[in-house]
Amino acid sequence: MSTRVMVAMSGGVDSSVAAAILRNQGYDVVGIAMRLAPDSDPAIPARRSTCCSHDDFEDARRVAEKLDFPFYVIDLRAEFARRVIGNFVSEYLNGRTPNPCVRCNLEIKFDRLWERARAIEADFVATGHYARILRDDEDIFRLARAHDLTKDQSYFLFTLRQAELARTLFPLGSMTKLQVRDYARRLGLRNADKAESQEICFVRDNDYARFIANQAASAAGCGGNIIDESGRILGTHRGIHHFTVGQRRGIGLAASEAWYVREIRAGTAEVVVTRRDGLASRGLIANDVRFVAPHGPGDSPLRVEAKIRYRHPALEATLTMIAPDRAEVRFASHGPAVSPGQACVFYRQDEVLGGGFIERAL
Amino acid sequence: MPIYLDHNAGAPIRPAVRAALAAIADCEGNPASVHRSGQRARRALEQARMQVARLIEADPRTIIFTSGGTESNNLAIFGATAAAHGRRKVISSPIEHSSILEPLTILEGRGFEIVKVPVDGYGRVDSRAILEAIDSSTALVTLGLANSEVGTIQELAPLAASIRSAGALLHIDAAQAAGRIPIAVDVLGCDLMTLSGHKLGAPPGSGALFVRSAVRLAPQMAGGPQENGYRAGTPNLPGAVGFGAAAEVALADLADESPRICNLAERLMRGLSESIPGLPRNGPLRDRIANTLNLTFPGVLGESMLIALDLEGIEVSMGSACAAGSVEPSHVLIAMGRDPQVARSSLRISLGWSTTAAEIDRAIEIIPRVWRRVAAAEGIAGVEATP
Repeated sequence: MSTRVMVAMSGGVDSSVAAAILRNQGYDVVGIAMRLAPDSDPAIPARRSTCCSHDDFEDARRVAEKLDFPFYVIDLRAEFARRVIGNFVSEYLNGRTPNPCVRCNLEIKFDRLWERARAIEADFVATGHYARILRDDEDIFRLARAHDLTKDQSYFLFTLRQAELARTLFPLGSMTKLQVRDYARRLGLRNADKAESQEICFVRDNDYARFIANQAASAAGCGGNIIDESGRILGTHRGIHHFTVGQRRGIGLAASEAWYVREIRAGTAEVVVTRRDGLASRGLIANDVRFVAPHGPGDSPLRVEAKIRYRHPALEATLTMIAPDRAEVRFASHGPAVSPGQACVFYRQDEVLGGGFIERAL
Repeated sequence: MPIYLDHNAGAPIRPAVRAALAAIADCEGNPASVHRSGQRARRALEQARMQVARLIEADPRTIIFTSGGTESNNLAIFGATAAAHGRRKVISSPIEHSSILEPLTILEGRGFEIVKVPVDGYGRVDSRAILEAIDSSTALVTLGLANSEVGTIQELAPLAASIRSAGALLHIDAAQAAGRIPIAVDVLGCDLMTLSGHKLGAPPGSGALFVRSAVRLAPQMAGGPQENGYRAGTPNLPGAVGFGAAAEVALADLADESPRICNLAERLMRGLSESIPGLPRNGPLRDRIANTLNLTFPGVLGESMLIALDLEGIEVSMGSACAAGSVEPSHVLIAMGRDPQVARSSLRISLGWSTTAAEIDRAIEIIPRVWRRVAAAEGIAGVEATP
C-alpha cells in the first residue's frame, strides 16, 4: 500500500497542482476541501445554500475526478468562526492588525486538519503553500523559503514545529508560479489560469471595517478622536477598526501633507497620527514566540532578519529572548511602521527560525 | 466493490429493471401519438402504471407519473392547497423531507398557517396534536409514512376519518415506505400518496403521485392533457417502465425480503453493539422500516466517519448533503430532541435488496475498526487507536 496524503484543496491552481504532483509521484491522495467562511450575505434571499454551492469546490472536485482520487468536502465553519474570525474581530477591536492566514494555518490547517487526516490513516497533510521543508543530518526538520521568492509563503507558516513539519508536504516549494501554471495546463486543469486570491477569504470586497461592524455590535460605539503625537485633537473617527498602523489613505483629515496612523489606543479609542518620518521604529516586542527547531536560541542575542509583514522585505535585527515566549527585536537601522497583531517572522537567509506576534513597537 | 448501505438515498438498479429498460430501449414513440409506435409506447406506459398501482393497491387511473418524490410532494402540497378554496391551514411535522418542508415554507410566505406538530424522541408524530389542530380551515395534512433518516413508521390510518370529516385532505409521503412494508391506500385512507422510483431500484427521475379520484388538485405544470391533465408533458417512458418493473419485483419479493432485511439489520446492530460500547440507536425498535439503522457513534464526528468509511469501501450517510457536498446534521434528529452534537455524531445505515449477509459481516468487522481509529484521532479519551 502506498503512503496516504490528505491534500487540502481550495479549488485554486496551487493546491490542485500540489495534489496532482503527489498523485503522479504515486502517493495515495485524498483531496479535502474545507468549508471555512461563514454563510455569506444573509441578504441574498431564499437561496438557502449559496455559500455551499461553491464553484471553487467544483474546480477541486474536477481535478480529483480527472486524476482519479477521492475527494471530500468537510465543514470546519464552526471551528474557523471560533478560532480565526473571533480572533480577527477581537484583535481589530483592540486596536491591533491581525493576520488571519497565520491563525488559520496554526489553528485549522495544521491542527484540526491533521486530526481528520489521522482519522483516515493519512501519513501526511499536504497543501499548495510555497515553502520548503528540509530535513537535516540530525533528522531535524527545517522550514525554508520557497525557491520562487515572489510567491514565498513561509511567513504564514512560522508556527509549524517539528511534529507538524514531520507530517507535512509542500510539493510546490521548489517550483515557480509559472511552472505550476504550466503543470496545470499540461494536465488540462480548468483552473490553470485562474486568478490569484489575494483577499482574506471570509471578508467580502476586502471591506474589513464593514465585516467587523457586522460581527461585533460593540464596534458601532467605538468612535473617538484622531490626535497627533502631542495629544492635539485633529478630528474624529467612526471606530478604531477602520485603522491599521502605517495607514495613510482614508484617515479623514484634510491636510496638505499626508498623515499616517502611528498608534491605535483601544482603551481611549484614540488614533494617533504622525507625519511620514514619525512612523519609524527601532524594533518591537513579540509575544507567543516559537521556534521551528526543537530548542530555542537560549539567552544570547541572535542575529536574524525579521519580516514584520508579509509584503515587507526582511530587516536586519537582533533578537533577544526576554521571557520564555517573549522576544525583543531590535532593528539594525530604523525600521518602518510596526503593526501590533501582525506576525514577526525570524529568518536566517532562507531558513525560518521562528516567529511571534507583535505586541508593540519600540 | 464498495458495500452500499445507503438504500434510503437511492437503491441500486435492480436486474429486473435493467431488463425492462433494455426491452423498451428502441421504443421511439410518444405515448400520446396515434401511430403504432405511439401505441406501443402507450402500452408500456400503462403497463407500468398498473405495476405501480398494485404496489399500493390503487386503481391505475389514480396514478400520475412524475419526475420523482420531490415533484410528487410539490404537486400534492401546492396542487391541493391551490384547489382548497378558502382553507388556509396545512398540518405537518418537523421531520419531513425537504420537498415537503420547503413547499410549506413557501406557503407560509403566501399567508397559509402551517402547523408542525411535535414528534417524540422516537420520531413519532403526536397524533393527538394533529387531531387538535384539524379544523374547518384545514386544507391538507401532509406526513411521511416512514421517516427517511430514522425509519419511524407513523400510525396514520386512525387519523384519516377525522381529516376527511373536517373536509381536509390527507397526503402521505410513502417514498421510503413503499416496497418495504405492505401499503394499501384504502386501508390508510389517504387522498394523495407520494412514491419514488429510485428508492425501489429504478433509475432516479421517476416517481408517482396517487390522487384519489374524487380529489381536486390544481396542476402545477401547464401544457398538454397528459396524466389525466394533472401533469403536462410527455411522460418519461423509460423512467415509468423502470419504476413499474421495480414496483413489481418489490411487491413480489416483499414477503421474503422483509424478514431477510430485518435479520441482516439486526445482525449488523448486534455486531456493532458488541464492539462499540454505548452505541445508541435513534428511532423506535418496532414500527420502523427494518432496513434503516440510525446510530450515534460516541465521540466522533459523523463527517469524519463517513469519509473514513468510504475510503474503506462502506457507503453510508448522514443528514443531508448540501450542494457543495459537505454534510449538515440531521434536522430529524434535532426535532427528536437530540443535541446538535449527537446529531453530528450520527450516521444512517440503510440496507436493501442488494445487501448480502457477507457484506453485513464485513461491515461488522470494518465499522468498529474505523470508529476506534476516528475516535482516537479526534482525541476522545479512553479510545485506543487501531490495534
